[in-house]
Amino acid sequence: MSTDYKYVPDPALVKGDHTFGSITDLIARIPLSPTPKMWYLAFGISNILLIALLGTVGYLIWEGTGIWGLNSPAGWGWAIVNFVWWVGIGHAGTLISAILFLFRQGWRTAINRFAEAMTIFAVMCAGLFPAIHVGRIWVVYWMFPIPNQMAMWPNFSSPLLWDVFAVTTYFTVSLLFWYVGLVPDFATLRDKAKSRAAKISYGIASLGWTGSFRNWWNYEKAYMILAGLATPLVLSVHTIVSFDFAVSVVPGWHSTIFPPYFVAGAIYSGFAMVLTLMIIARKIYGMEDIMNIDIMEKMNIVMMATGQLVAFAYFIEGFVAWYSGYIYEQGIFWLYVTGPYSWGFWILMFCNVVTPQFLWSKKIRRNIALTFVISILVNIGMWFERFMIVVASLSTDFLPSSWDYFSPTFWDVMTYVGTFGLFFTLFLLFLRFLPMIAIAEVKGVMPQANPHNYDDETKEFVDTKSEPVKVQQQTV
Amino acid sequence: MSDEVKSPNYWKSLNELANNENYKNFAHREFPEGATELKDEVSRRSFLRVMGASVALAGFASCRRPVQKILPYTRQPEDIVPGKPLYYASAMPFQGGLTGLVIENNEGRPTKIEGNELHPSSQGSTNKYNQAAMLQMYDPDRSRHVIKDGERSSYEDFLAFCKEHFADTNRSIAFVSEANSSPTYSRIKDQALATFSNARWVTYEPFGEDYVLEGSNIAFGRRLRPVKHFDNASVIVSFDDDFLQVSGDPDSVRNTKLFTRGRRVTSTEDDMSTFYSIESTFTLTGSNADNRLRLKSSEIELFVYALAAQLGTRLNGLSAFSAYSNKFSGHQWIETLAEELLANQGASILTAGRDHKPEVHATVAAINYALGNAGTTVTYHELPFIEDQNNREALKNLAEDLNSGAIDTVVMVGTNPVFTAPADLNFADALQKASQVITLSEYVDETSRVSNWHVNRAHFLEAWGDGYSYTGTRSVIQPQIQPLFSGISEIEFLNTIVTGEQTSGYDLVRQTWQSYYPSNFQNQWETVLHDGVDTTGHFPAAKVALSGRFSTEASRFISQATESEGMELVIRPDSTIFDGRFANNGWLQELPDPMTKITWDNVAMMSKKTADELGIKAYGVGTKNETNLISIKTGDTEVEVPAWIVPGHADDSITVTVGYGREGIGRVANGMGVNTYPLRTTATMLYTTDVEVTNTGRIYEVACTQDHHSMEGRSILRNATLEEYRENPDFSTYKSAYEAQLPGQAYANERGHDDPLSIFDAITKEDYPDYEPQWGMAIDLNACVGCGTCTIACQAENNIPVVGKREVSRGREMHWLRVDRYYEGDVDNPRALHQPIPCMQCELAPCEQVCPVAATTHSDDGINQMTYNRCIGTRYCNNNCPYKVRRFNFFNYSREFLTDGSDPEIVQMAMNPDVSIRFRGVMEKCTYCVQRVNRAKIQAQIDSNGETKKPEEGAVQTACQQACPADAIYFGDLTNENSEIVQIKKNNRNYLLLEELNTRPRTSYLAELRNPNPKLA
Repeated sequence: MSTDYKYVPDPALVKGDHTFGSITDLIARIPLSPTPKMWYLAFGISNILLIALLGTVGYLIWEGTGIWGLNSPAGWGWAIVNFVWWVGIGHAGTLISAILFLFRQGWRTAINRFAEAMTIFAVMCAGLFPAIHVGRIWVVYWMFPIPNQMAMWPNFSSPLLWDVFAVTTYFTVSLLFWYVGLVPDFATLRDKAKSRAAKISYGIASLGWTGSFRNWWNYEKAYMILAGLATPLVLSVHTIVSFDFAVSVVPGWHSTIFPPYFVAGAIYSGFAMVLTLMIIARKIYGMEDIMNIDIMEKMNIVMMATGQLVAFAYFIEGFVAWYSGYIYEQGIFWLYVTGPYSWGFWILMFCNVVTPQFLWSKKIRRNIALTFVISILVNIGMWFERFMIVVASLSTDFLPSSWDYFSPTFWDVMTYVGTFGLFFTLFLLFLRFLPMIAIAEVKGVMPQANPHNYDDETKEFVDTKSEPVKVQQQTV
Repeated sequence: MSDEVKSPNYWKSLNELANNENYKNFAHREFPEGATELKDEVSRRSFLRVMGASVALAGFASCRRPVQKILPYTRQPEDIVPGKPLYYASAMPFQGGLTGLVIENNEGRPTKIEGNELHPSSQGSTNKYNQAAMLQMYDPDRSRHVIKDGERSSYEDFLAFCKEHFADTNRSIAFVSEANSSPTYSRIKDQALATFSNARWVTYEPFGEDYVLEGSNIAFGRRLRPVKHFDNASVIVSFDDDFLQVSGDPDSVRNTKLFTRGRRVTSTEDDMSTFYSIESTFTLTGSNADNRLRLKSSEIELFVYALAAQLGTRLNGLSAFSAYSNKFSGHQWIETLAEELLANQGASILTAGRDHKPEVHATVAAINYALGNAGTTVTYHELPFIEDQNNREALKNLAEDLNSGAIDTVVMVGTNPVFTAPADLNFADALQKASQVITLSEYVDETSRVSNWHVNRAHFLEAWGDGYSYTGTRSVIQPQIQPLFSGISEIEFLNTIVTGEQTSGYDLVRQTWQSYYPSNFQNQWETVLHDGVDTTGHFPAAKVALSGRFSTEASRFISQATESEGMELVIRPDSTIFDGRFANNGWLQELPDPMTKITWDNVAMMSKKTADELGIKAYGVGTKNETNLISIKTGDTEVEVPAWIVPGHADDSITVTVGYGREGIGRVANGMGVNTYPLRTTATMLYTTDVEVTNTGRIYEVACTQDHHSMEGRSILRNATLEEYRENPDFSTYKSAYEAQLPGQAYANERGHDDPLSIFDAITKEDYPDYEPQWGMAIDLNACVGCGTCTIACQAENNIPVVGKREVSRGREMHWLRVDRYYEGDVDNPRALHQPIPCMQCELAPCEQVCPVAATTHSDDGINQMTYNRCIGTRYCNNNCPYKVRRFNFFNYSREFLTDGSDPEIVQMAMNPDVSIRFRGVMEKCTYCVQRVNRAKIQAQIDSNGETKKPEEGAVQTACQQACPADAIYFGDLTNENSEIVQIKKNNRNYLLLEELNTRPRTSYLAELRNPNPKLA
């Protein structure tokens, strides 16, 4: 028995009959054409929410954190839940742009710009919470190791301090990475722009890009180095966020499984958020050829895989609670399931454990409407996961006498909803003024970009429109 | 409102107060006025120079914070060293008794109340009302003026009125007074009754000892006050008596001390008394019982008679009961109790709740007498100040006479019958019939509002007075400050009415005391002022014998006792605001009730079974303490009260407390809770069986500080019976509690340690700290009764703000020291256990580890300290505290508490100058009273010429320790091998809370012991 293997090329990453020129036109036309009316509507709504956020934060600083539903056992509430949730969402971008870049996953080019933008805005939303949730925001700079007249360093053994470093580093590197990737595209926009203002602004942003060999050489090197730098950060930032919990003594927090569990959860929610946004954006902006169903299926597979990891982590938590014989851990696990917040636990279980199981089916993976629903459910589930960890664990800890129930107030909700205003305001500005797909990079994964498109085997040039070759097994 | 206090005349010494010439001369010589003033003539040049500079600098004024001037002493008063408090002895009168106190004064203002160690009624401790009295005095809502017919008047007008009105000594006058043990007051009272031929005197206390006295009158033919000596008793039987709480018994401090003394166990050889409690409401006292029987209050009378009957066959004097039987005859409890009491004749105590019928008290007194307890464990004392009448009857008669128009003038002293009198007397309407009603009260209260004259009363901290303690020790009450609102004391008031003259309280009190010390008066007087106690005067124990008519009386009343069926309503004083007199006291309003842990409200307590029958929605974590309002109807009166399930309450019985639901008193009291006095009538002072209860189904939110009542199988509050302790003296170790090895034990053994977590291991071996002293605390749960005095003492010492009902219901109470109460056992008849939780001052503190800005750190002497100025308020420390003892200023609570109203400086004066006021956004917590610790360390350093900072044993007492009436809290230096704290921590009942977390708490607990009778288990 012998098998005759044939070379099986991947399906084309960019669908449709596209040339380099049509790709440039497709993407660059959006920032360069007049603003659509729908954009104004969306931007207006986002702005209202943003103003609501500013108002809420202003009131919060004026009155104190008492406007939230926090109490004595539950010293942290929605603010920290939202922080972890947004940071988690901010994971997808760098993972897609850095790790997938290093692994030479060409499909990342369809979504990397978009996902990175989402990452940066999500981290901005996240970063807001640790700053505003403190009691005395006017001295929050004491968290940074700034030389001062008190001759006081911050407490380097506090995970909250590690958090400050982790998140700021992550944000800085992500921003740089994003910007470096944008430089060739800024040059494209500069060259295509008609208005003077656009020429000047894109011109400044493109840092004098000429498209020379040397430019590309430097660009590729910088991009590679940043990808190398960003890769450990993808793992470290949520690991360190998880330390906020894992390093403490609180049952339900004090667990060594938290770092991998948090990273998996972060990727899970990040991909879900990218999918949610992408499904809307590709439709509105007509990007179906680039952000196509194959890409979405790949993302669904990542989501499914991380979903299984997260489910496994839940299982392990329960197992360890039982196996450790540690009564407080057992207590908190039992309280998750049956206690005052059990409703949250079951929402979480449905959204995070049941939902991804549907993705085993190829049909569902390739169904846009269902993918959209699943991505939303995963995001809800991941929010409740953090809610259960933060609030439910704190509310029912060691001494039953201090157990109390956390109920959010109007202002808790407003701070959360308000961050969507911040996020979408920035995201809509991004969609409006920046190329939402990396023009240069996506061209690089098109067949035309392959200098070796003469196929030795078929003795002909590979036709970009050819059907994928069928795999045939031949028995001799 | 505030113009009266614009220039308050605070004085710092008696000389300054008197402001006599000698003092002025002295002060002028010491500090010549104007000595430092610029003597140069102001020339035109210098004037221009100064003016020019002022103008140039004027612009900078806007860049600055507003100028806040501080004023130094221009004339340093004698004895005052700024920053060093002075302590004066005084006493707090309460309900015909008095507690000896020592009051801390800082720069002329009293700031903290402690017990007087020389005084037998306090023995250095206090009750919660003593502690909270400080805030009461600084209450800006207290009345500030004399009011005539609703219009502001003056004391001079009142004086003129008295001169004219009381010139006619034939007026028909009724004096209604609070119970007051003051000899000066009694003297003026006698004077009044002698002056006014048509006068009568009624002492009215809504929860007074009248029925106890009536009971003794039936039994012994005299009105005698029983004083209980619990330390001499091995069997204690309480019928509905809450004697460990000041709301149930004004002698609670002494009771608690003696009760715990009789139960203190230091080794397996020690014995402890057995305490049987038979009660309807699950009271604090009942929660300390070894055996507790739930019984409706309406059935306790029958139970007592049945017990008397059981004993009657065996004891002389109870023959009247011997043939008696009712449904409790043959009850297992009756038989067991009788057996125990007979075995402990002369070493047992029976006591009944104050508002039980006189007949019940008579029977209890007779049993005590028959058992030979009278004179040994219970002594009976004649009171020099009480009227020889049944005061409750007298009040009833007064109301009748008022209604018939027979009374011309009513004078009310410190009592508020319009609010508190039994509803059927309709006192407000009755008062309308009198031509003049004069009231002396601290607040413009319900009675003041229907009076012609309201005179504002001085607080006991502001006025001279005197009085007898519960056991008859005489004390003088020294004022600590001039009356803030220029009120007058009850003796000055009464004297004005009787004589039409204005005489100072000082003179009135001295006049009385001159008769005690005919010779060498000044010397002895000064000794009394200094010590706060006159050791010569006390009530001698009366020799009692059953009166001849007791048997006939008993036969009569036992034949009249009837059995009742169905629901009963029990009405009790509130454990925090008593009869309502402390309703405007924020500290007391926010002090959780020791049993329900409810603040700011009164509730209808009932058992789970009764609640189920009424269809009450159960509460618990997740429901935010929402409960149903029930409607309680007796006769024509209907009141809606929030229902509250108290496991262990008698079935078919509902308890409400009074004092709430007041209006127009002040910003704390107004609108809080429900007024339940309308349910109380002359016939139903304690309970009524004529009651209809229905569930309205409406929802009411209650602010409860503890949502969860079970220990969830966690060994938090370790306890055992005395027998179990003797079998296994190490029952409180982790190993015994969990039947598992302590985490880290094996590792410790490998390294050659016996025990991984013991503080003493660390101190005696290689980890011995390089700094002395090292502080530690131990709380003896066997002594602690759970009263909550420590919480108030801590609040007073550490400037802890009151946050209000809304914040408490959100779980943001600020108490640094809380008392947890757990239920254990059957939901119908559980045991309740109390555990005070201050900061554990962990050696390996989880909070310190996680603070990102190092705002909470460890001091050299082992205190986990909190640097407020450094705190940025991440609350991470609180999250990581396994004991949840940290408290966060979610809002600017202190500002709200201290700057509320038109003249905030008044409440601010109550604050301890040694403790910072915490701003919004910072965390705070128990510091082991670091200000007291540091004061002692500084003193030690001065005394030793800088050699050591190690204070002597006993030099530091924390506020909670000092206040604790049970002496349950020990505190001291762990490096002092001979100190009490080290000895206590070596006790085998010593254990660490959540020891398995390896936080190494400095605060430890001594496990609780009970001594139940196995026959009743």
